[in-house]
Amino acid sequence: MTNTLLKLEQINTHIEQFHILHNVEFEVSPGEVTVLLGRNGAGKTTTLRTIMGLNNASNGTVTFKGEDITKLPPYHIAKKGIGYVPEDQGIFYGLTVGENMRVGMRKEDDATKERMEWVLELFPDLKKFWKKPGGQLSGGQKQMLSIARSYVNENDLLLIDEPSKGLAPVIVEKVIESIEKMKEKTTVVLVEQNFYMASRLGDRFYILDDGMTVHHGDMSALREDEELKRKYLGIA
Amino acid sequence: MDLFLNLAINGIATGMLIFLIACGLTLIFGLMDVLNFAHGGLFAWGAFVGVWAYGITQSFILSMLAAVIAGLLLGLITEYLIIKPVYGNHIQQILITLGFMLVLSELIKVVFGPNILAASKPPYLDGSWEFGDVTVIKYRALIIVVGLLLFLVIMAVLKFTKIGLIVRAGVMNKEMVQALGINIRLVFIGVFMVGSALAALGGALFAPSSGVAYAEMGMEFGIFAFIVVIIGGMGSVPGSLVAALLVGLSNGFMAYYYSDLAMAVTMILMFIVLIFRPEGLFRVSGVSNK
Amino acid sequence: MIKTIQKSTWIYIAVAFMLVLLPFFKDERWFLFLMIQVFTFGIFAMSYDLLLGYTGIVSFGHAMFFGLGAYSIGITLNFLESTFMNLFLGILLALVLGGIVAFFAGILTLRLKSHYYAMLTLALASLFLVLAEKWRSVTRGSDGFTFRIPELPGPLQDHRNLVVYMFCLVSMVLIFFGLRRLTESPLGKILVAIRENEGRVESLGFRIMPYKVIISVVSGVVASFAGVLYAISIRFVGTNVFGIDVTLDALLMTIIGGVGTLVGPIIGAGIIEFAHHYLSDLSDVHWIFERWIILFGIVYILAVIFFPAGIVGTLWHKLAKRKHKKQEMKQKTSDKLAS
Ligand SMILES: Nc1ncnc2c1ncn2[C@@H]1O[C@H](COP(=O)(O)OP(=O)(O)OP(=O)(O)O)[C@@H](O)[C@H]1O
Ligand SMILES: [Mg+2]
Repeated sequence: MTNTLLKLEQINTHIEQFHILHNVEFEVSPGEVTVLLGRNGAGKTTTLRTIMGLNNASNGTVTFKGEDITKLPPYHIAKKGIGYVPEDQGIFYGLTVGENMRVGMRKEDDATKERMEWVLELFPDLKKFWKKPGGQLSGGQKQMLSIARSYVNENDLLLIDEPSKGLAPVIVEKVIESIEKMKEKTTVVLVEQNFYMASRLGDRFYILDDGMTVHHGDMSALREDEELKRKYLGIA
Repeated sequence: MDLFLNLAINGIATGMLIFLIACGLTLIFGLMDVLNFAHGGLFAWGAFVGVWAYGITQSFILSMLAAVIAGLLLGLITEYLIIKPVYGNHIQQILITLGFMLVLSELIKVVFGPNILAASKPPYLDGSWEFGDVTVIKYRALIIVVGLLLFLVIMAVLKFTKIGLIVRAGVMNKEMVQALGINIRLVFIGVFMVGSALAALGGALFAPSSGVAYAEMGMEFGIFAFIVVIIGGMGSVPGSLVAALLVGLSNGFMAYYYSDLAMAVTMILMFIVLIFRPEGLFRVSGVSNK
Repeated sequence: MIKTIQKSTWIYIAVAFMLVLLPFFKDERWFLFLMIQVFTFGIFAMSYDLLLGYTGIVSFGHAMFFGLGAYSIGITLNFLESTFMNLFLGILLALVLGGIVAFFAGILTLRLKSHYYAMLTLALASLFLVLAEKWRSVTRGSDGFTFRIPELPGPLQDHRNLVVYMFCLVSMVLIFFGLRRLTESPLGKILVAIRENEGRVESLGFRIMPYKVIISVVSGVVASFAGVLYAISIRFVGTNVFGIDVTLDALLMTIIGGVGTLVGPIIGAGIIEFAHHYLSDLSDVHWIFERWIILFGIVYILAVIFFPAGIVGTLWHKLAKRKHKKQEMKQKTSDKLAS
């Protein structure tokens, strides 16, 4: 039990009057990449937003590092050590790359500087365009900036929402490689539709359908299970 | 030439006063998507507190300080009692802040009495300088200098400090700012208080220049400030300055030549901007509509 | 036919009837005058409620229609002979002008977001104010002008105030029922849906603009008529009819009475007018009563926060709930008896 970093129990989320998540159950072990799969509109983004407190769970609990964070405001949850890379990347278009990185920096100590250097080595483009406004970056660079920004803080968990969305295969490969490297340093929850990426990175998987967790297990098992893939992911 | 310059200086001074109200308004809107029609009330309060404090202390600096403190306090109260309950609902915001504007104006009459107060300048700010055939009224020059200085300070804070960075980021996407671990409401309360204090300072500066403080000036200048924010682009501080100077100047010149049409020209200016460029002259890039 | 008339309609008719009888019991001049104000502002506030309560539009410039109506009738009767024909003409002019201005203002401004809309309507109204001030040959500028209303035949002339009272009362009642018809029609349902969620109505395939324009034209015409009644009742027109205070009054009355109820604004008008009268009288006792508007400002703010449905709306809700409960109880007991 102590070996669970994040745990969602019986989570129900409403957006306005719509009941989006129904009793979602979800567990993340430290050091692993947990992949959240499901077709469009299944509720993957809503699940991440509920963890971040950006949507409020009407029912159920979110536990992070053994602490109930369900009712905490988003900024408080973030400070507990969760980094968030939203589906739209959440880049501040009018701020430069450097400023985008700096807004999120909660500390300016040596450890943070070290992480910053490390992540800039991972994404040399960011260093190159340090003074460029975020809005002028390419899609892939925005994605990298968003991931890098979530990483500079001393977070125990990163929530990354569809990093492959709208990227060319070459860039996807690059993103995969970088997340692979981050994986050694932090725990990741990855929402992905791109099964290739999911299977490259994932240790464990959860499948959401219609706001419910319908399946979970080891990624290796899912790779073999054609039936399951067809049923929920539409992959032949 | 003499007349032209004098009118221009007048117009710029008025523009600076309007800017002091508008810059808080525009940041409050940009950051929190809140429309505060009570903002002009702070201007009037600033004027009355300033006049009152000057009467007691006979010190110009202290009177300005008193207005600023009153602005900070009133800003805090306004945010807490009036704005907080209606976050996210524009219609309710319009209704409630308009109502609060009424209350603020009437409260002035309760606290300071129902009459117009006479306001005076300290002797060292009275009079004018002569440059050839141009006469520069000292007090107007002071207003312009103070306005410009504050503009520069605000821009520097926004540009070079961490808090300014957060405010700018918040104007663009406040949800993401929160997800990065920043309590945006605290930032917002701060901006709200500072914005209120600037408006109050504007009022305190205005009263000695016009010689009077009256409760209705809040409504008058508040409307001007809103127009300026709309023309300049909601959320943009430089936009507010440009628009405020534009409105101040057009108002100054019109007031001299066709005094009754001054307001109309301002309104038409806003009209044109709204019809052809609804986002204002200076658009804030990346403002999310969340 | 009789069956379909709602119970509330009978109540309204009864109240209207009592209002008809009222002046025969209390016929002091000031009282009649105050009631006339209540009726005219009741009509004006209803027209405001049509925008605010039924479509969710906040206008800061509603006074422009009120003023248009007042000036239309005033100028007509001032420049032409004061006959009933011309009175009728003036009213017609007011309604047509109100409709036209509302139409153009609507298509110009209604596509804007709420705060821009509020500011633009304010701008429009202040342009009318400027026009009234500057076009001195017709409007007499800020001095305003008095005008005569046509003489009534025979003995009625001695009871002119009473006639005006009845005219305003009947107008208010007719407009009330007319607007209620409108809001209960399919059009009204769409309007409420627009207020609740503009995006959804649009995604259902309705184009919103035409509906908003229609409603603002109706609202403008009614407001203009209120201005006509106001001018007739005081036989004077000045630039103050275009002032923001007029709009604020309507807002206050609507919010305090009850948004989206139509009867609320009338009650709100009654509360405000009478409070104004009595509280101002009390200012001899203590000067604080001179500042009665503060009281209403606070009530108004509390209403916006806690009773967005207004006084009437909230009461209605409670009544409806109670009724609902009663019916449920009845149902339960009858169920029990049956089993
Ligand atoms: N703001 C909102 N208002 C109403 N419904 C919403 C809102 N946001 C999301 N939904 C609904 O919630 C459901 C889940 O949405 P969510 O974004 O979580 O799906 P997702 O799994 O992330 O999909 P995708 O793969 O397309 O990103 C969808 O049916 C969506 O229509
Ligand atoms: Mg998604």
